[in-house]
Parts: sequence; structure tokens; C-alpha cells
Amino acid sequence: MTVPNPIALPIPQTIHAKDDILVGFDENAVLAKKLQEDLPEEVRPLNSAEEANLLKTLSSNFGFEVTTVIEGIKLNRNFGIIGGEQHLYRYPRDNLYAHAENTVDWAKYGSAGIAPGLGAWGYFSPSKQEFTDIDKMREKYYLAIQTFLAPGFAENVAKYRDFFKYRKMLVINPKTGQAVVAVVGDAGPAEWTGKHLGGSPEVMDILGLAGGPRKGPVLYFFIDDPDDKIPLGPVKVRSES
Amino acid sequence: MKQFYAHLIEIESIVVELDKMNLSDAQKLHLTSLIDSSLHHTILDAVLSQLEDSDKKVFLNHLREDDHGKIWQLLNEKIDNIEDKIKKTADNLIKEMHKDMKKAKEK
Repeated sequence: MTVPNPIALPIPQTIHAKDDILVGFDENAVLAKKLQEDLPEEVRPLNSAEEANLLKTLSSNFGFEVTTVIEGIKLNRNFGIIGGEQHLYRYPRDNLYAHAENTVDWAKYGSAGIAPGLGAWGYFSPSKQEFTDIDKMREKYYLAIQTFLAPGFAENVAKYRDFFKYRKMLVINPKTGQAVVAVVGDAGPAEWTGKHLGGSPEVMDILGLAGGPRKGPVLYFFIDDPDDKIPLGPVKVRSES
Repeated sequence: MKQFYAHLIEIESIVVELDKMNLSDAQKLHLTSLIDSSLHHTILDAVLSQLEDSDKKVFLNHLREDDHGKIWQLLNEKIDNIEDKIKKTADNLIKEMHKDMKKAKEK
């Protein structure tokens, strides 16, 4: 009851160890060790060689294609500081209490509150009656991304707005290997905050960054999933790689 | 984790009342774990009491696999008005919980 894992939508990728000795071992911790070796100590934009190396590592570890560029569009950076965001209104007259699937959800995520304004793409659903499980998952696992800093944004606002709406991404805490598949659900944070992206209360919890200052360094990449097969939610490493 | 009966129970009223109580984060988590667990086991008891032994095993297997489609197919096939029964069971327990919270606030 404590880990977000709704049915029919996000079933986390399970660990498939080749050797019995690895059964039950947290393979995400092994990935974390490799990421720590490959990443610069300073949280900065990665160079193309670093990006290529990481993409290869992550795609093989998670079993799906992650990339920095789709349709010629890329972000200003893929290694940055994530900060905790509030819940978002999902439909008109939504309220914070309605976001909880159970009372533990409220205990864990209720204190984050709900943002007074709407996300960059408005409500997730035009009404409560039309609200679906897909809409619910998108708000639950949403990211605020600095879409406005993506190269080419100013010249192609409409195209970029449509491209980024609910774009699927993989976010990883390189210190622990904790990872989540989420969607772009809002634009932000502002540059002056010193943060480079934001995560919903559930995203921050999965990344192990829900406590204390509610921020920390993460890697974040597009997932190339044209058929929408990768479920949202926590994701674990596959060891067949 | 979304339970197979999530669409039938209304926890919003409980959450609203909990929010009015002066609880620490640890107390909130502990109390809500108890509430969710009580609801879950009361509903499972209500379901299991309506099933034959052989069907209980099938149900528990579907529950373990978290396969909501198979759970509902089985329950609708084996128990009349199962949704109403689960809803009534949950509503009764939630009413009791409201009474308990009221008492706690009066102390």
C-alpha cells in the first residue's frame, strides 16, 4: 500500500537475474555505482561523449531505448538538480484529498500540497467524468521540465509545446540507482531557482529525494516509446544486459 | 498500490478528518497504515465469506497476481451483487472509523 503501483498501468520492470546468486540483489545499486564512476562530480550539462556512454548504459540496463534527441528536439541538459513540486489540479474542482488512492497516499504525499495554478498544458482532463486512469497516472508521475530552454524553443513554440506535452522520460538518481518513468506535465522551474527540473511528490519519493531539502542531482532522458508500451512508475534494472 | 475495490470505496471523508487532527508525519503514516489495512482485511473477509473453498484459492491467486480483471470476473460469476456488498462493508467500517476519530478528538 505504500508504493505507488496501480494496476493495469504501471507494473514495474522486474529484476531478471541470470545467476541465482543475484536473485534479490538490488541491481539498481550496481547501476548507481557505474553511474557514479561515469558522471562528473559537478552537476553540469554533459558532453556528447558522456551522453553517448550513458545512453548505452541506461538503454541496456532498463531494456528500452533512452535518448537525448527525438524529432530533432533536445533539452538544454540531461544532468541537473530536481526539486520537489506540488500536486497539480487534474480536472475542474479537483482537490488535494481526491489525489489519494488510499489513506497512506495522503500521509505520504498530501503535505506537498497542490499548486494554485494549472500545469503548462492545463487540466489533465476537461472534467471529472472524463478523467481516466491514464490522466491519473500522468499527474501522479509528472515532471516539470525547462522546455523553454530547449534549443530552438523560441522559434518553434507551438511545435515544441505539442512535442513536450506528456513526453515520456526516464529519471534516475545516480547516487542510488532509483529510477522512474514519468511524463512532462508542466514547464519549469525558473532558471533563478537553481533547479533544472521538478518532480511530482510521487516521483520524488521513488527517486529517494522526498525527504529533507526535496532536491538532488538526477539524470533525465527521453524514452523512445512510439507505441506507448513503457508503463509509468518505478522501474528496475534488468540484469540480462 | 491500487486495490481491486478502490473504485467502490470513498476515503476522501476519512482523509479530510485526519487532516484536521494534529498528527506528526510518523503518526500520520502509522495511523493511515492501520486504516488501509483494516479496510483491506475487512473487505477481503467479506469477499472470502461468500466464496466456496475452491473459489477462495482461485481468488487469492488472482489477488496475489494483482489481476483485477480476473478477480472481478470471478466475483461477478460467484457472488450476487458483490460490488454492493463490498461498498456496504466499506461504508460501515468508514462510519465506525469516523466515530473513533470523533472520540479521539474529544479526548
